[in-house]
Amino acid sequence: MQISLFQTLSATTKKLDARGLFCPEPVFRTKIEVERMQVGETLTVLADDPNAEEDISRWVKRNGHELLSLNKQDSSLEFQIKKVK
Amino acid sequence: MGNTPLVKLDSLSNNKVQYFAKLESHNPFGSVKDRAAYWMIKDAEEKGKLKKNHTIIIEPTSGNTGIALTGIANLLGYEVEIVIPEKASEETKKIIAKLGAKLYETSDDLCPKVGAGTDQSIALATSIASSRPDKYYSPNQYANEANFMGHYRGTGPEIWKQTEGKITHFFTGVGTGGTVTGISTYLKEQNPELKTIGVQPQQNHLIQGLRNFEESAKPDLFLRRENTVDDWITINNETAFAAVRELFAKEKLLVSPSSATVYAAMKKYPIEEGIVVGIFADDGRKFKSLYAQQKVFSEEEFDANLKQAKHLSKIAYLD
Repeated sequence: MQISLFQTLSATTKKLDARGLFCPEPVFRTKIEVERMQVGETLTVLADDPNAEEDISRWVKRNGHELLSLNKQDSSLEFQIKKVK
Repeated sequence: MGNTPLVKLDSLSNNKVQYFAKLESHNPFGSVKDRAAYWMIKDAEEKGKLKKNHTIIIEPTSGNTGIALTGIANLLGYEVEIVIPEKASEETKKIIAKLGAKLYETSDDLCPKVGAGTDQSIALATSIASSRPDKYYSPNQYANEANFMGHYRGTGPEIWKQTEGKITHFFTGVGTGGTVTGISTYLKEQNPELKTIGVQPQQNHLIQGLRNFEESAKPDLFLRRENTVDDWITINNETAFAAVRELFAKEKLLVSPSSATVYAAMKKYPIEEGIVVGIFADDGRKFKSLYAQQKVFSEEEFDANLKQAKHLSKIAYLD
């Protein structure tokens, strides 16, 4: 399970577990979290809806933020997003 | 609820053609959507889909359904969550929050597979409800037959009775399609010669509640009986907002953008003879900031107009 992954992340990174949610809820919740964050902070998003890969990547780029990384493991997606503005 | 007044529009009427507006703001929560909300909830209860104090009702809306559903559902003992486009008026969102619903606001760019505005809200509400079916119920006004029924059994017969069976032309905007299909189907069963004219705003419109079918999908509820509409007319933002001013100046009615759009359509569409009825879905009270922004009325003018306006109804959340 991914639980240990969460525990190894730094405490100052915000986390969003969007697994089990369907498009467009993952990108919607990502948007809410990013809006709440301070500029410069990072958000880790976990999702398992295949549509989320495109939705979230596209949303991040279109809104001027940085997609630091995208890891895919089977159907699990892990995004690292940095709030730029 | 229902049995809303039919008011003659003297500014448009002449010896050959008489024009009337059905004032749907005279419903408990201020709009035509009270009918859909009530019928959808009652229908869900009858089908055993709602558990009091457990089920959360979640619904996508451009505004009026959010208000109606929240008001009515809360009275009946259900929690409500509303998914609404960001660009809905601030007053609308405040009213919904004040009535006790949780709000999710969608932007136009969330889901690239669907259109703008309420299409995004529909996608989000559907995804939230389908991932937790034990907890959530979505009436889905865009596909729910009970929405149609509320008009087929309610608004349609009212109009027939109020015009003593003499109505020849029916005008309304289209949002979910419930109003147009429900009323038109009933009226045409009484008089197959009746003409139904669908009113559309422009693309990129500011008319809360209505859809332009070039930029937004046709809801299932509408598609089922699309053929009931005989003709279409498109009204742009400028004309609609000018009509808001005109309606106040000539009839002392303080209306919503969608009502003004229907009025502008009735005014523009060529009719030689007949009795014409248009649906005014709600009034102008939620649109003070929009009207100030669009230079329709300044805030001071709006407040002054409010005091002089005729046919203002009593609305539950304004007490």
